[in-house]
Amino acid sequence: MTAAAKAFPFPTVEKTLPNGLRVFVVPYDSPGIVAYYSIVRTGSRNEVEPGKSGFAHFFEHMMFRGTPKYPTEKYNKEIKAMGADSNAFTSDDMTVYHILAGTSSLPTIVTIEADRFQHLAYAEPEFQKEARAVLGEYNKGASDPLQKMVEVLYDKAFQTHTYKHTTLGFLRDIENMPNEFAYSRQFFDRYYRPDNVLLLVVGDVTAQQVMPLIEKHYGGWKTGPMRPEVPVEPPQKQEARASVPWQGASLPMLLIGFHAPACSTTDIDGVALQVLAELVFAERSPLFRRLVLDEQKVEHIDGAWERHVDPNLFTILARIKESKDLAYVEKAIYQEIARIAAEGTSEDTLAEVVSHTRYALAGQLSTADKVALVGAEFLALHGELSSIDDTFALLSKVTVNDVKRVASKYFNPDNRTVVILEPEAQ
Amino acid sequence: MLLSIAFAAGAPSAQAATSQGLPPMRVIRLPSPHSPLVTIRLVFQVGSADDPTGCEGLAALTAAMLDEGGTVKRTRTEVLDALYPMAAEIHSYGDRDTFVYAGTVHRDNLAAFATLLSEQILTPRFSVEDFTRLRQDALDAITKTLRGNDDEDLGKEALETMLYRQHPYGHPVAGTVAGLASLTLNDVKRFYADHFTQDRLIVGVSGGYPEAFPDAFAAHFAVLPALGTPRAELPAPQARQGMDLLAVEKESLGNAISMGVPIDVTRADEAFYPLVVAASYLGEHRTFNGVLMLSMRQKRGLNYGDYAYVEKFLQDGWTTFPLPNVPRRQQHFEIWLRPVPPASTGFAIREAIFETDKLIREGIPAAGFEATRAFLLNYVDLWAQDGSRRLGYAIDAAIYGKDVLAELKARLPTMTKKDVDEAIRAHLSTANLNVVVVGAKVRELAGKLTAGQPTPIVYDTKETPADVRQEDKLIESYPLPLSASHIKILSASNLFEK
Repeated sequence: MTAAAKAFPFPTVEKTLPNGLRVFVVPYDSPGIVAYYSIVRTGSRNEVEPGKSGFAHFFEHMMFRGTPKYPTEKYNKEIKAMGADSNAFTSDDMTVYHILAGTSSLPTIVTIEADRFQHLAYAEPEFQKEARAVLGEYNKGASDPLQKMVEVLYDKAFQTHTYKHTTLGFLRDIENMPNEFAYSRQFFDRYYRPDNVLLLVVGDVTAQQVMPLIEKHYGGWKTGPMRPEVPVEPPQKQEARASVPWQGASLPMLLIGFHAPACSTTDIDGVALQVLAELVFAERSPLFRRLVLDEQKVEHIDGAWERHVDPNLFTILARIKESKDLAYVEKAIYQEIARIAAEGTSEDTLAEVVSHTRYALAGQLSTADKVALVGAEFLALHGELSSIDDTFALLSKVTVNDVKRVASKYFNPDNRTVVILEPEAQ
Repeated sequence: MLLSIAFAAGAPSAQAATSQGLPPMRVIRLPSPHSPLVTIRLVFQVGSADDPTGCEGLAALTAAMLDEGGTVKRTRTEVLDALYPMAAEIHSYGDRDTFVYAGTVHRDNLAAFATLLSEQILTPRFSVEDFTRLRQDALDAITKTLRGNDDEDLGKEALETMLYRQHPYGHPVAGTVAGLASLTLNDVKRFYADHFTQDRLIVGVSGGYPEAFPDAFAAHFAVLPALGTPRAELPAPQARQGMDLLAVEKESLGNAISMGVPIDVTRADEAFYPLVVAASYLGEHRTFNGVLMLSMRQKRGLNYGDYAYVEKFLQDGWTTFPLPNVPRRQQHFEIWLRPVPPASTGFAIREAIFETDKLIREGIPAAGFEATRAFLLNYVDLWAQDGSRRLGYAIDAAIYGKDVLAELKARLPTMTKKDVDEAIRAHLSTANLNVVVVGAKVRELAGKLTAGQPTPIVYDTKETPADVRQEDKLIESYPLPLSASHIKILSASNLFEK
């Protein structure tokens, strides 16, 4: 694969409807199969009102609760008749609905998806039942100490921005969800609008097939009210630390977050942090070799900068074999980042990181569904499929000096939050 | 259509490899010349069922030494260094009867990746350092992670110890604490020599590879011994009379539930295919249309999901589809209920059994049969979307002698409700069900269930419809064949010791 090769090598047809709905069609060699993604540019980041954390995710559940024309049972029957894989997910910045089915089902898919995005209707009793399924979703992860550690990390690290809560939301808010029926209608009215949603259709289709269907079924969708601003997070002033009590068995764990920049196709700091994460935490890194292979104090370690709409965290996770080594491992991580800040890395190693990242993406783009999944993330964050190529072009421009600079700029003690899990039943 | 091509491309090649006097390994090819990616799958028909008694975990530790240890030529770090620029990973997993090494790589990097992979399998370093690390990782995986970090996985593993009492399938693939503690590096070396042999190996290659690649690659494995220790016949799972309940007591917000019973059917059998329809009707994995999902989650808000299976199901990453290459010589029927509120645990167990019994007693409703059949006819196409998964299914077809995807596509159009009902009646029963609950208030629950006391659902939501309330009354007192002598209450720390 040459450096000049496009990271996202598929031809794309894009169209914007008069109501602002943007549609992207990517013909892909997946005989007889189409992936249909509806991307709402709203996630837990948009839960600005107190007491409403977790609502974007809850609302994702409610979208399966029917319309006057397609009540739940009828909607489910249509999905079943298609033999479709249909589901949805919510993250900090987006809610994505996806259907994977035979291409012959495309007219039905467009019909039922356009219908629920415009005419969702549910009564309070089923709203309440679904609220309890959401609590069940929280509870299924509650035996994993990492769920609790992540909650604590973001709660401690953010003061005003909505990244303070996880996508599932604060447990107290989840428990209260059955009482928020009226707010749920407001949420739909506010965010499920054509100027806040993108459609991505990937697979054995052409734009000529797709566009007229979309225009017919989504053309009457109206834009909605102004959406509230998301508060800006002030700079962190001092290190925050917390420990999570855990009565059951577990390896001790260390979770660290440093405030880091938002995703961008022009500001190089984010992708430079992505490179840094590879240099410090990849399995072939000196730190991994030292802590995991040679000293055998750590069972698993990783670190990542992930793309977000607003500045989020560079996170580091280590699962450590014995509690006595928690402080040692934490110090070793900081030392290694400081070493990179001082010494940088070789040009060859940097080139290998870029090669690794490009091949990793090429490996991901192996089915219509996976192409759509990658496309959906970039569309939700940047609003353009071309942002994939732009991001990888930016990545190719990262220099050793960029890596040194971000290693010293973002990893100072005042900018970090540390959460420790030291199980009681050791 | 792709699926039948997949099988046609795989099976004749496998026969050709053996009939021409080549090594007894099988080679399966699945060309896709336009793809920039190539997948290699090495499937060894070696699994935790091959663990010698007292050495539980030996097969998995040996398998891990191959792909997570170094090679004679390279340390672990050097292996990782070589893999890194091509973003290639040797993905390995295992079960009772197989271990799999799989990797997908851009064709630019195929030669280098193939060299590394064959080096890993053929010339493992077997260093003391790797052995110490990987054995400790396995022990931690059982004593720390499985016991303390995931109640649902804990329930599923505990269920297998009940389904397969005193049986080679009856311990976790990772092993037991005592088994792992007893192992030495020499045990690993011996096990490797005796079990990682050509007769147990299937080499699969799919994607945009050069035509000569599969044979040239497979030829590397001719250095393995041709024949290894013969596979021991599996005993029949122990017959039980009545229901058994294992309650794993721990603090929890939600109680995880798994239940199941061995069945004498695999993909090799005719009855398997109508049973797939029955299980899909009851609860296709991670879909919203199953009877259990509709009645437990949608109508009652009990939990996040409820599913049914007629063979071991391991989910492939974040997809909703099964991981290929987890074939078993013996299978079981399983129901998985995602965590439910502790106060409604008894109700949830009764409801799952109530719905299953209804299916067994009344058969699949005609409309449900037609809808499920139509669903599966399309849905199975999604199980083999990429080259790696297509190859996995072609290898499974070689193992079972039947390609599950091609069989379903061929059989579903002519399958009848009667076929499904007969298969259900012949092979499914809840009379001797094994049930595992992991969570809170389980002691009190066990007492109520053995005494035949009602276990009503606790609602904190408005306006449950009258017909649901009426059904609740039936379910909360639904009789279970459970006696006090068939109840075991343990703490998580007691599980998987030996």
